[in-house]
Amino acid sequence: MRYWVTVYRANLKIAIAQMLQYRFGILIWAVWGFVGPLISLAVWTSASVARGGGSIGAAGSGSYSRADFAAYFLTFMIVGHLTMSWDAFEFAFRVRDGNLSPKLLRPLHPIHSDVTFNIAFKLTTCVMILPAWVLLFVVLHPTPPHSLFSFLCGIPAVVMAGLIRYILQYSLAVIAFWTTRVEAINQLYFTLDAFLAGRIAPLSLLPGWMGLMAMYLPFRSMGAFPVELLLGRVPAEQILPGFIMQIAWLGAAVCVFRIMWRAGIKQYSAVGA
Amino acid sequence: MRYMRLLVVFFKTSLQTDMEYRVDFFTRILASLLGLLTTLGGLSVVFTYTSNIHGWKLADMVVLLSIYYLMDGIIEMFIGPNMRQIMEQVRQGTLDFVLLKPISAQFLATTRQINIWRMANVLIGIGLSIFSVNRLSLSIGPVQAVAFAVTMAASVGIVYSFWLFLVTLTFWVVRIDNLEQIVAQAFEAGRYPIDIYPSWLRGGLTYVIPVVFMITVPARALAGRADGPQVLTSIIIAACAVTLSSWFWRFGLKNYTGASA
Repeated sequence: MRYWVTVYRANLKIAIAQMLQYRFGILIWAVWGFVGPLISLAVWTSASVARGGGSIGAAGSGSYSRADFAAYFLTFMIVGHLTMSWDAFEFAFRVRDGNLSPKLLRPLHPIHSDVTFNIAFKLTTCVMILPAWVLLFVVLHPTPPHSLFSFLCGIPAVVMAGLIRYILQYSLAVIAFWTTRVEAINQLYFTLDAFLAGRIAPLSLLPGWMGLMAMYLPFRSMGAFPVELLLGRVPAEQILPGFIMQIAWLGAAVCVFRIMWRAGIKQYSAVGA
Repeated sequence: MRYMRLLVVFFKTSLQTDMEYRVDFFTRILASLLGLLTTLGGLSVVFTYTSNIHGWKLADMVVLLSIYYLMDGIIEMFIGPNMRQIMEQVRQGTLDFVLLKPISAQFLATTRQINIWRMANVLIGIGLSIFSVNRLSLSIGPVQAVAFAVTMAASVGIVYSFWLFLVTLTFWVVRIDNLEQIVAQAFEAGRYPIDIYPSWLRGGLTYVIPVVFMITVPARALAGRADGPQVLTSIIIAACAVTLSSWFWRFGLKNYTGASA
């Protein structure tokens, strides 16, 4: 344990220093996180206005008014930022240009330095874009969370979502050992994620078959579930099953990653060697 | 005439280079189609709850989307690769070799390569626009065809000038890949009609980064909705943009002293 604390602290120091060196660059990257949710919000707000400002969706916990949409997509924006990972691109690039090889020679799995980089990016950018988030909440008047208990439950759910997403992304990245390119596979992941994690629309507004798919795939655990939990939209009896799903998907993701990594590393012979 | 011959040579050499990376084409087209599926799917979900958004029907939105893909393809095929290479060469100091050639530096620097496989998005854009025009059962008369051709040309001119302007800035500030990201973010917003955005953002997308004239106006022209003043405005803006950016480029070159000189 002491060992890991030392390792992570040292890595984090390096990562934060690097982030601060390119502070403007990473800020611009962080702004990408605003684009998607705000476009979705604009589309749904317009749809709500076109229907005379009424709520959309079946009555009850599945319906959304203009303020509910604002709450949903703004929360999604923050959760999306806190749980994002971009390792598939980065990793494939490293496999292609051979930069992975020196990292494999270190007595530490390369995932650890990448994790610290991810954390450092979020720490530094959160500080920078916090004012923008606050401003958006002030301007858009979202519905406040329904219950404090649910909101507090939402915090560990966000952490879990981040872990599942990170390890799944890293498993996708490992495919680069075989293909050296992951753009198409990654795009497939983004497409599924856009619908089934609730990025494009709240899950209750999707057609039935898609909602059903969302229940049986990991995407809901990485997006809509923590977001709805924070807002107090998950019915009390579904909170525990939601967490169990998250734990199950995290376990599955870790297994998939370990198997793929072991197979991939055998297959890898360094590009250009 | 000499310039036309050079363009043909540039095209041939680009083709030869890109033929080595054929798989790239299929990856690109697959990725683009999935991206398209995401947007179309999202739109069809929204349109199960409403029949129009600020006067835009689903079919109009698809016309807009087709122009978005077409423009994105044109940018990534012809404009982007050249402009990025200029930035890179300014940083490394190799732009000097371009300036030494006995032809217009702007012509050589901004037309010398074509990324053939980025044609994927151009093809998707064309396919989608034919599909959506059929779906709308629009009869495209000569007036509409001319309006569309003119606004498309103006759009390409505006995008080209905008990039040239940004690239010229590198003579002073060296790194602008961050600015490129901001433009990309604004362009992404052009996937949807700008009427859905709040007024300050509409202003920005019209006057600061003129996404409206890059995407919305050609789309309206294709759907037969653009009026005379709109077409005229986009021609005037394009003409001004091309002249100004070309002047700015020459002004920049005069101040350019090379990377290590």
